Amino acid sequence: MISNLELPTFKFEPVNLSVNDYKSGVPPVWCPGCGDYGVLASFYKAISELQIPREQLAIVSGIGCSGRFPAFVEAYGLHGTHGRALPLATGVKMARPELTVVAAGGDGDAFSIGMGHVPHAIRRNVDITYIVMDNEIYGLTKGQPSPTSPMGMEKKASPYGTVEQPLNPLMLAITCGATWVGRGFSSKPKELVELIKQAITHKGFSFLQIMSPCVTFFDTYEHFKNRTRPLPAEHDPRDRMSALKYALEDQTVYLGLYYQEERLTYDQGYAAKRQTLPNYGVRQIMDKYRR
Amino acid sequence: MREFMDGAEAIVRGAFAAGCNFFAGYPITPATPILLRMLRELPKVNGVGIQGEDEIASIGMCIGAAMTGAKVLTATSGPGMSLYSENIGLAIMGEVPLVIVDVMRQGPATGGATTAAQGDIQFLRWITSGGFPMIVLCPSSLADCFKLTQVAFNLAERFRAPVILATDKEMVGAQQSVDTDTFEKIEIVNRTLAPADAEFVPYQIKKLADTPAFAPIGGPHLTRFTTSMHDERGLLTKKPSNVNKTSRHLAQKLEAHLAELEFAQLDAQPGAQTLIVAYGVTARAMIEAARNARAAGKRVSTLVVQALFPVPEKILCAALTGVARVIVPELNLGQYRLDVERLALALDVRPEVLGVNRVDGELIAPAEIEELIK
Repeated sequence: MISNLELPTFKFEPVNLSVNDYKSGVPPVWCPGCGDYGVLASFYKAISELQIPREQLAIVSGIGCSGRFPAFVEAYGLHGTHGRALPLATGVKMARPELTVVAAGGDGDAFSIGMGHVPHAIRRNVDITYIVMDNEIYGLTKGQPSPTSPMGMEKKASPYGTVEQPLNPLMLAITCGATWVGRGFSSKPKELVELIKQAITHKGFSFLQIMSPCVTFFDTYEHFKNRTRPLPAEHDPRDRMSALKYALEDQTVYLGLYYQEERLTYDQGYAAKRQTLPNYGVRQIMDKYRR
Repeated sequence: MREFMDGAEAIVRGAFAAGCNFFAGYPITPATPILLRMLRELPKVNGVGIQGEDEIASIGMCIGAAMTGAKVLTATSGPGMSLYSENIGLAIMGEVPLVIVDVMRQGPATGGATTAAQGDIQFLRWITSGGFPMIVLCPSSLADCFKLTQVAFNLAERFRAPVILATDKEMVGAQQSVDTDTFEKIEIVNRTLAPADAEFVPYQIKKLADTPAFAPIGGPHLTRFTTSMHDERGLLTKKPSNVNKTSRHLAQKLEAHLAELEFAQLDAQPGAQTLIVAYGVTARAMIEAARNARAAGKRVSTLVVQALFPVPEKILCAALTGVARVIVPELNLGQYRLDVERLALALDVRPEVLGVNRVDGELIAPAEIEELIK
């Protein structure tokens, strides 16, 4: 463990934590039937199965229906500005690498306003888990098309139907070089719990897209129920081309681990460089001016 | 010891003297020299320095790190301040200690990257939505760069608030010979930590003007912060009484402590009918102008404003009282003069307020100020 920033660290004795121990007691305010309830329930289950001490867990979010996620989890919580979960999470992780850092966002937060940060968090391989609850719509602002909305979507903000092609988040993450890429569905909790556990356990940037339908503005439950299927057994998650092939598939929504590789994480890489440096220069200045 | 250095070096030394251990920034002229030195030196002292993918990411990283207990610095110029704006709001709302250096260049927009200006002054005061007070310091010498950077960190920690060090291309980029023994080290102030063994409520305060105790992410208390209007638990609220309390607290925690925030240097000459008020690089011209005028037998007082905002009204009003004329030289069209005029209007005997203003990228020469000293 590197002692980043010489901040005081705290040891926590392992205690047996149940699912309920991770609930903050703040009731979620999502619409009844929202896919995000399924994501949250699976998240509670995953972190309780991993027995992550609550004092070692930081949840970071931006704005959107996903933005309230930290409030519902008994852990450290940062509810930041729209699209900026990844920079905040990077700051937390680099200052305190001992923490498990999870960023939660939606398709608007991640792929529209926050898109500038996604490739950079990926290429840095910051050791955080990015959970994107993708409902293919802006829910909080009452139903405008998002970067993952299907082409032709007619909403008040697109009264004549959208003419933009949706992004493919999995392709994006794989081609940017993410070291862990997976997709889950909020209505398949068993598989989702496993995916969340794997994503958190992975050392490096984990990109987990979770299809999480918006019952109010774009109800896709039936659509996904009919089209989701586990990735075939012959898919090798170390095979990037195979991962891209299944990510490109648009008739079937494949769920599971698309891609995984091991690579030095950002905090590990920074610490390794730092250890090669002599402590001089400003250290002397600091000592000189320290009282 | 006599050294040859620029303001960037003095600011970086001030940051380290204050205990800075985290920096994130994005390259931008003329603030890049600060970024380069922080990225070079921080890893040597177990700190972290990051070049972000843009300014928005950089200040985001700083805020994340600050909430874990780090003492963070970032540096940019006008266009970057525009991009920082929203997350400065987050830092105000979440009560995040953070020091931001704005190395002013000519604006608007890309303006003149290597052109001297002081055009951000009122922008910095009103940098984010909501209209809350900001602390803005402004150095006018290398010794000031060193000292006020430490003051900025101390105030950020003391008030759990973002603090801006407003400087300019000339102060940061021009090399000068300086005796570093004149660099004043000041006592380091750290944020008040919540006791580890007592129950903790993230934003609990006794009085509106109090600054809440801090619990770092990764520390002994589970804590949360939010960009939204929140109650004392750090949870989103719309309840008018909670919203009112948080809003008034965010203003009062600074406004009730103005005495701690007033920094200015008055050089009063008895019987002087003229006062010059200046800040930053323009204060250098003012000092030179006053020296020349005094040598010529004229009487003139000078005030170097080191804390632009909150406006040091007590010091300014005292300096304005009894003079007939106030000269405010600035590298803008008269931004700080607005505040000087506002204060002058409230006096029983109102002095005349004159501006010396340049926006052509050239510095104000002492002679331009001297002309107005009668």
